[in-house]
Amino acid sequence: MSYFFQLVVSGIVVGSIYALSALGFVLIYKSSRVLNIAHGQIIAAGAFITYALTVQVGIPIYLSFLLSMAITFFLAMGVERVFLRRLIGEPIISVIMVTIGLMSIIDGLIYLTPFGSENFSFPEFLPQAPLTFFGVSISSTQLVGVIITAILIGGFSWFFTKSTLGISMRAVSDDQLASMSVGISIPRVFGLAWAMAGFSAAAAGAIIGNITGLNFETLQAFGITVFPVVILGGLDSIIGAVVAGIIMGLIQQFAAGYLDGNWGLNGTANVLPFIVLLIILLFKPHGLFGTHEIERV
Amino acid sequence: MATNRWLATGNYFTSYKDEQRIFLTHFDRLMFCGLLVLAFAWPMFISASDRNMLVIDNILIAIIAILGLNLLTGFAGLISIGHAAFVGVGAYTLASFSQVLGDSHVLITHAWPLMILISGGVGAVFGAFVGLPAFRLKHLYLAIATLSFQMIFLWVINFMTFFNQGQTIYVGRVFWLTGKVARKQHYLFWYYIILVVVVVAGLAVRNILRTRYGRSLVAVRDNDRAADAMGMSPGLTKVYAFALAGFFAGVAGALHAYLYRGVGFESFTLHQSISYLAMAIVGGLGTLTGSFFGPVAIHLLELQVENLAEYMGHLIPAVVNLTTALRPLTFGLVIVLFLMFEPRGIANWWRITRTYFKLWPFRY
Repeated sequence: MSYFFQLVVSGIVVGSIYALSALGFVLIYKSSRVLNIAHGQIIAAGAFITYALTVQVGIPIYLSFLLSMAITFFLAMGVERVFLRRLIGEPIISVIMVTIGLMSIIDGLIYLTPFGSENFSFPEFLPQAPLTFFGVSISSTQLVGVIITAILIGGFSWFFTKSTLGISMRAVSDDQLASMSVGISIPRVFGLAWAMAGFSAAAAGAIIGNITGLNFETLQAFGITVFPVVILGGLDSIIGAVVAGIIMGLIQQFAAGYLDGNWGLNGTANVLPFIVLLIILLFKPHGLFGTHEIERV
Repeated sequence: MATNRWLATGNYFTSYKDEQRIFLTHFDRLMFCGLLVLAFAWPMFISASDRNMLVIDNILIAIIAILGLNLLTGFAGLISIGHAAFVGVGAYTLASFSQVLGDSHVLITHAWPLMILISGGVGAVFGAFVGLPAFRLKHLYLAIATLSFQMIFLWVINFMTFFNQGQTIYVGRVFWLTGKVARKQHYLFWYYIILVVVVVAGLAVRNILRTRYGRSLVAVRDNDRAADAMGMSPGLTKVYAFALAGFFAGVAGALHAYLYRGVGFESFTLHQSISYLAMAIVGGLGTLTGSFFGPVAIHLLELQVENLAEYMGHLIPAVVNLTTALRPLTFGLVIVLFLMFEPRGIANWWRITRTYFKLWPFRY
């Protein structure tokens, strides 16, 4: 039974990080209807930037965590400005294909650095001994990761419900024309959505990098699982992203814990989310919390 | 007015039927026939090395796959990030026959045209299955469905012992009328076969696009409500587009398996899918000629990139694998730059050249 609870705990840990990374994806989709295929690569880049700042530059880890979030904030904003701003008004399909190109570019850039082929791990900065409650152990890295994630998600929900900028972003996702008429600058909102997506992606990348170690393939697999999460949650729902993130974390941990090794299966954690995705698309295409579109012809 | 059927200076259509002709002028027909003769005859005069022949064969196979992808992405307006997986379905259909029957069973070595068709059919079934969510949803979620199909495909191949866990599964040498195709003639033989398939597939696509089955794709892409009102079912049309793309991909996959005399997972990865997409975009989405230009351009670019990586490899320390780094980098750049600056692809340059010569030597 404690094995079960152990899986639940680690599922929630991984799931909350999924939630954080899915948040950024949903943000971009909500404001501009663009599926950002490059999101996983931004997560990986965030993790590597944090590592480079911590180890190669030698900045204390908390500071480099904040710094890398700031860097990706402006990096993502720059990407939006350079590549996507001039595509406003073009068909959405070409914008999505641009993000596919971006994914390939970032992949290539990471392969150019040693991060593409070698393994790294963050220096230990927290006590090694895991904390144990009622027979369920959780490492202090995981605990700190979950706490930071919870704080960030809380911050985001405060931002969207209370601050003027957040409310204007929600307005744009509701109705672009109406929000323009009350004086909201649409390109600025798009830029901000990308910037905040980069920000949250870097945070998620840094946290997952601390927990699992830095390996590009692992990070890619992590980043690509964001798609099943957002589809399960409903593409345009922030609550959906959080709930679905945790569900997906649990599914993965249970798959790794109970399926792998039995019946000759292995690596099911990496494929089960995609099977769930296909099933969800077939039977509940708008996800758990997505808006159903009503069409009147 | 008697129209000049050789060198038209403009479009003088008086009926829709006129507009639907495959060759608008006799000159077009002549050029097409000349090109065809050239394509079939050149190996008799120039002997290419096996390595070059393999590149040419690869380009032709890619053209078949891109004909399918272009129908899906260009004409029906649906993104596929899993096209390599559909090609893989075709290749692995052949591989499973080879696993069950043995790699030089009569079916594989003698009835290979049938095998290629079966692979195409299996590809179509998988394509239709992945496209099924189109009944329930609009927008471009389907891109994610194709991505997940890509991931599931790779996992299944690498996991199942039936598929040799992604290691090479051999496919036997085929027989022609004159007997077993010898090692020396292998690439040349397949060049001719693939060329025939390319010509048939190209004409087939051209004809599909003239009929209601192709024009319904374009109608659904441009405005699915209007298409619905005119009696087409948008969902069904999208599923049908996926099936078509799957068919072409499956045929390409089977040819790939025969050409390499084996199937391994590394030709069907996500990066390969993205380079297929790059081919379609560079060639020109929604144009038939684009499906021919794109694969040629991308393959030539890839060769240059490999040369560059080899050259640069001597200059910098060997910490990073330059080929794995430069390939996604250039393909990504090519996709982004073309979409930003020439969204209609190389086919547009071709169109501009042709219109220039239409009135030459007059400017207008």
